[in-house]
Amino acid sequence: MRKPLLVAQREIVESMKTKGFWIGILLFPVIIVLSIGAPVLLARAKSVRTYAVVDSSSWLADAVQRQSGIADTRRILLETANRQLTGGNVASLPPVLARIAPHVGAFTPSQLDSAARTLATGDAAPAAALPDSARNPVLDAREEYRAWWDTATASTIRGVHQAPARGKYRRVNATGDLNKRVADEELFAYFVIGRDPVADNRGMAYVAKNLADDALRNWYSEIATDVVRQRRLTQEGISPRTAAWLSDEVRFTERTVSASGEQTAVGLKDKLRQNAPVVFVYLLWISIFSITQGLLTSTIEEKSTRISEVLLSSVSPVQLMAGKILGVAGTGLTMIVTWVLTATIAVKYMPKLMGAPASLDLTPIMSDPALLASFVIYFLLGYMLYAAILIGIGSVVNTIQEAQALMMPVMMMLMLPLLAMIPIGQDPNGTFAKVMSYIPPFTPFVMMNRAAGPPALWEYVVTTFLLVAAIAGTLWASAKIFRIGILMTGKPPKVREIWQWVRTPTGVVPGRQE
Amino acid sequence: MPQTSASDAIVLQGIRKSFGDFVAVHDISLTVPRGTIYGFLGPNGAGKTTTIRMMMSIFYPDAGSISILGEPNSERIKDRLGYLPEEKGLYKNMTAVDLITYFGRLKGLAKKDARARAVALMTKYGLGEWITTKCKALSKGMGQKVQILATLIHNPELVILDEPFSGLDPVNVETVREAILTLKREGKTVVFSTHVMEQAEQICDAVVLINRGRVLIDGRISDVRHSGGRTVHLDYEGDGTVLRALAGVERVNDAGKHAEFVLKEGTDADDLLKQIVGRVRVRSFDTREASLHEIFVRAVGQDSATRGVTNA
Repeated sequence: MRKPLLVAQREIVESMKTKGFWIGILLFPVIIVLSIGAPVLLARAKSVRTYAVVDSSSWLADAVQRQSGIADTRRILLETANRQLTGGNVASLPPVLARIAPHVGAFTPSQLDSAARTLATGDAAPAAALPDSARNPVLDAREEYRAWWDTATASTIRGVHQAPARGKYRRVNATGDLNKRVADEELFAYFVIGRDPVADNRGMAYVAKNLADDALRNWYSEIATDVVRQRRLTQEGISPRTAAWLSDEVRFTERTVSASGEQTAVGLKDKLRQNAPVVFVYLLWISIFSITQGLLTSTIEEKSTRISEVLLSSVSPVQLMAGKILGVAGTGLTMIVTWVLTATIAVKYMPKLMGAPASLDLTPIMSDPALLASFVIYFLLGYMLYAAILIGIGSVVNTIQEAQALMMPVMMMLMLPLLAMIPIGQDPNGTFAKVMSYIPPFTPFVMMNRAAGPPALWEYVVTTFLLVAAIAGTLWASAKIFRIGILMTGKPPKVREIWQWVRTPTGVVPGRQE
Repeated sequence: MPQTSASDAIVLQGIRKSFGDFVAVHDISLTVPRGTIYGFLGPNGAGKTTTIRMMMSIFYPDAGSISILGEPNSERIKDRLGYLPEEKGLYKNMTAVDLITYFGRLKGLAKKDARARAVALMTKYGLGEWITTKCKALSKGMGQKVQILATLIHNPELVILDEPFSGLDPVNVETVREAILTLKREGKTVVFSTHVMEQAEQICDAVVLINRGRVLIDGRISDVRHSGGRTVHLDYEGDGTVLRALAGVERVNDAGKHAEFVLKEGTDADDLLKQIVGRVRVRSFDTREASLHEIFVRAVGQDSATRGVTNA
């Protein structure tokens, strides 16, 4: 066992000296940081869109603005409540919000609505719905809030929260030649509102140069729809409650059953658990794919530099093969563990550092011992199987180009579990999933995919047994190919020849000890 | 049939090896006594390398038996063997000393010992300046020396060198030859393969000639030379083409400045000399034992004539 370990050790030490290794290690964190940070930064950097409204109805544009102010205020109050409740940074809010934060934290959703109405419009009536202790502080805050709201810049608003429209869009007066102003990009777009929007859409228009970004149009039309709908209801004498009740959807509450058959509520954690296997299948696939590629490259390199036979003077072919499989796995694992750690840390802390809400809590997935254990086992078994195949291929070719032809079927075999991932995830115990589980090259991916099922214990036992048998058989055949192939020069052999090597006995092996 | 004896470094008995339909080694038996320099001779594709690989247990024979240093499976005693294959390569990005140390460790040396020995060997063989040079920066001759040192670092009892002289300039040929002779003086056994007969003639104690996977001739150099009869040797200057069409000559091996003549039955050396004088400038002319080259050309020619039809 000493010699394979020496071979593996050299493989790891030497590959850590290469630039490629360090680029691989360092590039990934950079990509992760960029992919999480860039959207936040981009959203921040996006300039405020200015728009104008030509309002023939003479009431809709103002109503939309009022409505939008209420919605933004509600979003800001919600953020205030969140910070108050989760121990976030309340002090960095504008003083007026910081002062009422303790009350806001205790509001119900409908109380948030009422407080937003009062603060945004100055109307005292909605505040009647607030609890006694909170009513006066909110009423007292009106003027200061309005003053802050009217003078705050877009970036100040975005400093509180990304969502409010006030941080993204700014309405300007509809003066001069609007078409020219849009053409000159002084205006992003302008809206034309018809004479009677309550009746129909006649005369409504949206004029812009940039048609790719339709966020402004969508936002404006959504609020306008709300306002107009309200008017239509009033006109027809339908109370808002009746309208809400009429348009209410029929919803089924999601519940699930535990292993012991009890019905329980579905939380975010359960949803993540259902999706976790998919994450692991991807990770498994990428790990196995990239590490075995490394093994192929390393084998071809050793062969083309003619060092293989020098090595064979000291170690047996099987020892050399074992050492390489171990060494490349060591290198690859180092890289992948670094990646996973970086990704986990980045997903957990980056958004917080950048002042954005944490997007996804991965802790429940990362800490599930059963999932982790099966990931490690399936990684090792899957790697062994594909390593055995690729080291065999690497030993008979001289260049990566020559390897390509032989790699085709292997690649197709590897693609299948990825393509089957969604159907298997949806029906983890269906016939298709079951059949796929018993085909060794697919077993690691498919069984990982089915973990949410989960499959019965005996299925794990039988499929793992088949997989281990396949690994043993492949390693045996691969060792025979490796023994001859690694020393061959010139044109790569035909598949028929390789098959002949596998079939014919190695020769008379006297009391072999490897 | 050779007899196994404790004093023999290598004993092969009736070994055979094929790859698919191709038979690389038909039937080879030979004995290499300990403490000798033994030459493996034969044309390209004769089966020399396959035979050597079987000695190193890189391949296993389909039939026959092998004994290396008295051990049937050389894998168990790999640490007592040194092997320099014909296809030589280095890890380009490793330094010379790291590479030699690595091979020493693979041969069972402790890390510290291996490194100390690597440094000592490199200094001894004039590579002291290149100890920490990366292998890709070494010249071909230096690379070859590094490889030979990697073969010798663990002080092996039996050293097998496959074409150790190929691609070397005369200075490096001399270095390698000196290394081989040093090994012999230290009581080691050295087996090397070559297709350059002069090299074998100069340093081997015994040789074997292999052609098409079979042994044609083997034995001590003196015995082999003796078996070849006598030939006429000529050193000359001038246009050698005239030497090809002389009467009474069975065959001529012309190397440009030196020619060896095999005379037909009943022809005298004097007759030959008379024909040559005046056509080229004669430097020396004498009759002595046939060269290995002549003996092997003859043996390979006969072998091809008898088997050529069925085995071509």
